[in-house]
Amino acid sequence: MAVRARHFVRLKLRLLANGLRGRNSRVVLFVLGVLLGLIAAFSGYLIFSLPGILGEQRPAEVLLPLGGALIVLGWLFLPLIFFGVDESLDPARFALFPLPRATLLRGLFAASLAGVPAIATFVATLGMVHAAAALGGFGAALTELAGVIGGILLCAALSRAVTSGFATALRSRRARDLATVAFAGTAALLGPIQLGALAAAQRADWRGVGRVVDVLAWTPLGAPWSMGLDVAAGRAAVVPVKALIVVGSIGLLMWWWSGSLERAMVGAAGGSGKRESATSQRPPVAQLIPRWLPRSRFGALAAREMRYWWRETRRRATLITFSVVGIFLPILVATGSESSGPPGAMLVFVAALAAVSLANQFGFEGSAYAANVVAGVPGRIELSSRAAGYSVYVLPALFLMALIAGLVVDSPAAVPALSGTIFAAYGVAMAVVMPISVRAAYPLPDSTSPFAMSSGGGMAKGLLSFLALVGATIATAPLQIAAFLLGDIWLWIGLPVGLAYGAGAFALGLHLTAPVLDRRIPELLATVSATR
Amino acid sequence: MTVPLQRESPDPALALHGLIKRFEAKVAVAGIDLDVPQGSFFGLLGPNGAGKTTTLSMAVGLLRPDGGQARILGYDVWADPVAAKSRIGVLPDGVRLFDRLTGSELLAYHGLLRGMDATVVDQRAGELMDVLELGAGNRTLVVDYSAGMKKKIGLACALLHAPRLLVLDEPFEAVDPVSAALIRGILNRYVAGGGTVVFSSHVMAVVERLCSHVAIMAEGRIRVHGTLDRVRGDRSLEEVFVEVVGGRTATGSELSWL
Repeated sequence: MAVRARHFVRLKLRLLANGLRGRNSRVVLFVLGVLLGLIAAFSGYLIFSLPGILGEQRPAEVLLPLGGALIVLGWLFLPLIFFGVDESLDPARFALFPLPRATLLRGLFAASLAGVPAIATFVATLGMVHAAAALGGFGAALTELAGVIGGILLCAALSRAVTSGFATALRSRRARDLATVAFAGTAALLGPIQLGALAAAQRADWRGVGRVVDVLAWTPLGAPWSMGLDVAAGRAAVVPVKALIVVGSIGLLMWWWSGSLERAMVGAAGGSGKRESATSQRPPVAQLIPRWLPRSRFGALAAREMRYWWRETRRRATLITFSVVGIFLPILVATGSESSGPPGAMLVFVAALAAVSLANQFGFEGSAYAANVVAGVPGRIELSSRAAGYSVYVLPALFLMALIAGLVVDSPAAVPALSGTIFAAYGVAMAVVMPISVRAAYPLPDSTSPFAMSSGGGMAKGLLSFLALVGATIATAPLQIAAFLLGDIWLWIGLPVGLAYGAGAFALGLHLTAPVLDRRIPELLATVSATR
Repeated sequence: MTVPLQRESPDPALALHGLIKRFEAKVAVAGIDLDVPQGSFFGLLGPNGAGKTTTLSMAVGLLRPDGGQARILGYDVWADPVAAKSRIGVLPDGVRLFDRLTGSELLAYHGLLRGMDATVVDQRAGELMDVLELGAGNRTLVVDYSAGMKKKIGLACALLHAPRLLVLDEPFEAVDPVSAALIRGILNRYVAGGGTVVFSSHVMAVVERLCSHVAIMAEGRIRVHGTLDRVRGDRSLEEVFVEVVGGRTATGSELSWL
């Protein structure tokens, strides 16, 4: 019997169902994910069908490609930053089966479409079909439907190709830096587009936005979503060209994915390659612990965390993604908006994003945590050392971000106060994240891809991140208000107040979470080492 | 390395009473009572899925039992975990090490985690790396070690703080004969010096060669236990094992297509 794509889809659904069996918390998360998906789907449908219902052709021509392009970008960046990729069908697991690559590729692709995100996107974009039908009748609707389906295929192909390619690149040491640069470059390329759009929107210059979108509609980002409207406007001749753009992009992405898929499959069997370097004559403790850390339990734990944030691909990917996002986001927002206020809110978001990386801090190493359990590490030392190990990387990065943000808005005097805000937000977010990491840990699959999540895991990750973000934003609101009310005085006291606020929040979070961890150590170990 | 001095005390090295563990509907361990005398070399035998790993995990504080008690040298593992855990060295099976560290870093990590002095850690870690032929200056990450080397570095981590009791889950699995002989030698010396070893295995030859005491587990229960000679009688341990576990013997008619 020939293996077909539907077998992969069935396998994925079976894995999902088995993963939910007998695990109430996962069922709750899954239902919540479906609900959020439904909400997104129907609000998207409403927004996209609105210009059609009102019978307005031009707004539709702006809204549909623009909204569609945002959806594509969402598919590209959200898995990298928030959700990870549902890789319950890890390509490496198929390495031993006699499957032609094309079959495998088709199957994995079909399976990646069988999920809440793809279905929600489809329902939302059906609103575009509705709009096209209202504006141009049956022919336009049919064309738009074809376009929308092409668009979703494009989204999935893009998301798969990029995460897989990035993951492959991250695995080897030399390519890693290249991948960082490439990712940063991509993010940087988005800048001009966003700048144009934001600048135009600021001046409420719809004609300006319209011009940008008209160009956008000819790129793979916007082409799939605008086909039906071209028919409605009597430009049916351009549809084949746009179809070619879409199909061609999907083809290219699949070709790229296919290449990195091969490497992912071989990589799993071949190991990560020997990384032997010169032998070291230093005594073991000096090899582990840098000179400025105490040679104690805390020092050992923190030093191990530091090593892990760099040596483990999953964590390294998190770290790199955060750095790139953290540096580009404030710049984009600061240069895009014409209001001259320092981008404090954006920095709070970035700091919370940094802390969110720890939301599943025990899940990263899985069963290896047993070593700490056997040694009986107290919860307070465990949590504080993990925070310290991560902060070694994050605190300088956060300061750099505050510096950049301050310079971009052309107010160097605001840098200390901005640093205060960002440190406060980081401390607060850590306090929010610590209990989450103890109570809501989840296992990560033993996969070759640093973005891989087991079924349902993506929802957990996304939801926990969101909770932490909201929590941190609310908890730093007093500082934002103080900054607003105090004006110039804040520039002087912002840094010490922010530092104290962040440190206080962290200490409180630690004080409250450590006893919880002490009580739950075996349960936590069982949760993160579950591979069944 | 220094072997701890035998302290005369009436408590068994490891005492399990009525340990129970259920996973969802399945009962993995169905009430285990076991005393491991101090200074013994104790083999826990059983077929795959008998509950050996589950039992040992509960005994060392990695897995919370649904019922029953585990005491190490008189200290309750679940009521007084710090006192109990500081007296044991554990080599879990099927558990990852912190494998993004080099061997030396991993040993230093374990030593400091146990609250040892840095100079003692340095000295013992170097010695262990040397004796176990892992190469003291080797900068290879543990993740790139072979399966046998991983077992050896795991054993080194368990030995580093010179515990009174060693609990080893499948210490000889995936280990080549040369390394196995080395490990046997180290463990024999450790027991001769007054330490106690509890290990699980399903390799009869190893158990017969090493152990003073054995227990055979099947389906979550201890079926037979006692000194090796008492359990074995005048038969081979393998015969006793197959009889106790109730294995199926091939008649030769199955799998005729092979």
